[in-house]
Amino acid sequence: MNGAQHILDAFHRHNIQTVFGYPGGCIMPLYDALVDDVRVEHVLCRHEQGCALAADGYARASGRLGVCIATSGPGATNLITGVANAHRDSIPMLVITGQVPSALIGTDAFQETDVLGMTLGIVKHSYLIESAAELPEILEEAMDLAQNGRPGPVWIDIPKDLLLDDVTATPMTTQAQPNATCPDLESAIALLRAARKPLLYSGGGISLAHAEESFRAFAECSAMPAVVTLKGIGNSGKNSAHNLGMLGMHGSRAANRAVDECDLLLVIGARLDDRATGKLDGFAPNARTIHIDADAAEFNKLRSAEVALRGDLNTILGELTHSLRETPLAINDWRKQCQAWRTTGGFQAADNEEPLAPITGPAFISQLSRTTPEDTIIACDVGQHQMWVAQHYQFDHPRHHLTSGGLGTMGFGLPAAIGAQFANRDSTVINVTGDGSFMMNAQELATVRRYNLPVKLIIMDNQCLGMVRQQQELFYNNRESQINLDDNPDFVAMARAFDIPALKIDRTDQVRRGIETILAYSGPMLLHVAIAREENVWPIVKPGGSNKEMIDETRRTAADKKEMTA
Amino acid sequence: MKVESSHKTSNYTITCRMNHEAAALERLCQVVRIRGFRIAKMAVETADGALDIALTIQGTRPVAMLQSQLEKLHTVAEVKLAAPVVAAATRIA
Ligand SMILES: Cc1ncc(C[n+]2csc(CCOP(=O)(O)OP(=O)(O)O)c2C)c(N)n1
Ligand SMILES: [Mg+2]
Repeated sequence: MNGAQHILDAFHRHNIQTVFGYPGGCIMPLYDALVDDVRVEHVLCRHEQGCALAADGYARASGRLGVCIATSGPGATNLITGVANAHRDSIPMLVITGQVPSALIGTDAFQETDVLGMTLGIVKHSYLIESAAELPEILEEAMDLAQNGRPGPVWIDIPKDLLLDDVTATPMTTQAQPNATCPDLESAIALLRAARKPLLYSGGGISLAHAEESFRAFAECSAMPAVVTLKGIGNSGKNSAHNLGMLGMHGSRAANRAVDECDLLLVIGARLDDRATGKLDGFAPNARTIHIDADAAEFNKLRSAEVALRGDLNTILGELTHSLRETPLAINDWRKQCQAWRTTGGFQAADNEEPLAPITGPAFISQLSRTTPEDTIIACDVGQHQMWVAQHYQFDHPRHHLTSGGLGTMGFGLPAAIGAQFANRDSTVINVTGDGSFMMNAQELATVRRYNLPVKLIIMDNQCLGMVRQQQELFYNNRESQINLDDNPDFVAMARAFDIPALKIDRTDQVRRGIETILAYSGPMLLHVAIAREENVWPIVKPGGSNKEMIDETRRTAADKKEMTA
Repeated sequence: MKVESSHKTSNYTITCRMNHEAAALERLCQVVRIRGFRIAKMAVETADGALDIALTIQGTRPVAMLQSQLEKLHTVAEVKLAAPVVAAATRIA
């Protein structure tokens, strides 16, 4: 068996059925081995960035390892954005690239790039294979590393000659890392009991640790008011009475208010990102902090914690729940107060009753949320439409909401939706995108067509880079700079060129029918939704500002608006 | 409570043992740089297939944060921090 065959064999042993890749010179031996191997389904995307983001979407939607493959040089450099995206959101991913033959490394050979050096900052770990003999062990270690502890991408760069060399496979079992013990659990419980206004603050770490159920059991048992980060959306389920929604720059007033007033923050699986906390000086000024995470390096990074617990979130949450079952928290006044804030300061999309009125982003997303089936997965792009999804779509599970949080990668949505559809063949998968983001990986329409994936695409077209336009309007004196996209192609015609049916809507009375039409269609379909160019995402906190200073639409007076459009 | 760094630059000495892999030193230096420190002095020795690295670094950020990031590297076995040369640089507000 040669190195390439060994890799496919290892995929099979690890139950990796789907990989995303693009061939080229130095990875040819692996593609040659694929010809005879029917156990692994290789998905050919149309750009290596598409491969990496599809592997990322596959991993997010399934909780399993995402795998992407590319050749050396431009293949590897094209992967980089997708791998960085996975790195920033701690997505388990295995990246395999071919490298120029060992003897040519360092000679500026054709399609040689220093992949190892170039990717140090965007991987959990990386390897350059130096002999075929080390390949089996490194492969096992890489798959284990990518998925355990705090997950992340692991990159293996393999010189072409070593893919062809004989490998004596020694299947080995990796040892599960022992869970950290938590001597501080008692201190955490004591702090929790002492608090009058405790607040649960959860993030993407919950689903990364496969701890959704333990989290919900804890959230219900403690009945603590709760806020979520962008990546924690869905953690509480859509029927939770205590969830105040997303906090932060585009968070709900209720969530930001509760953070401001709480006396204890229980942070679980979150890293206190600046988009969530706003200016740190003003963040949760009266609160003590308990921080629970798989990664000890997150503790005291941005906020010091009185108690920090590292370990398996399932175990820790289980123990916390157990302790609260015996004696519930006595925080009724605080609960009532948060409920009241939720009523007045939650996200509410005003439905426009006027049938001929233009479509607004929030109302469209609310309607989408009401119309889609239970198991629907939404893969977002980046911009205003992403925030409207976060604010107005009711998610019941964090794996139903795929969003590029840490890196904010425009072009994420379509390939991520492709990956998610491969992981969940029977689920409804929808890419909600913007007219800017869509064009960043539009080539992947060809992948949708080739595999006849029933992915639905919704383009929220405001004819501009809306998120940038909004910030230019609000914080740069309305000096618009390079945000105009009014020469977008005809998206309906474009989809049809890929043999994907499409339709366009621009009036409120077309929204429901439009959504129902794409959902009812058995194959892929695109819905082009024209919305107003001037629409903004509300509320907003100025970048770098404190979450206390949320700006509402009502603060813009008629005179302001006139001045802005003058 | 907010974690703050003083604006005073401090020197620290860190010793680190890591696997002797292809990108070992770059990996280490990359983390030191991105987490806010500069390397003022560096000595490397190989022993039993491992690298023993002694670093003198300078920076204004809490050095414990750098230590935990270095410990996270898969190929780093141990990180030890000697007492800072200038008085403690971190303050918990
Ligand atoms: C690859 C990449 N380039 C640039 C940005 C900066 N950026 C953030 S949002 C945005 C505008 C997105 O426009 P569109 O997809 O049309 O969404 P909208 O905000 O209009 O809903 C830009 C340019 C980014 N996040 N990613
Ligand atoms: Mg747009």
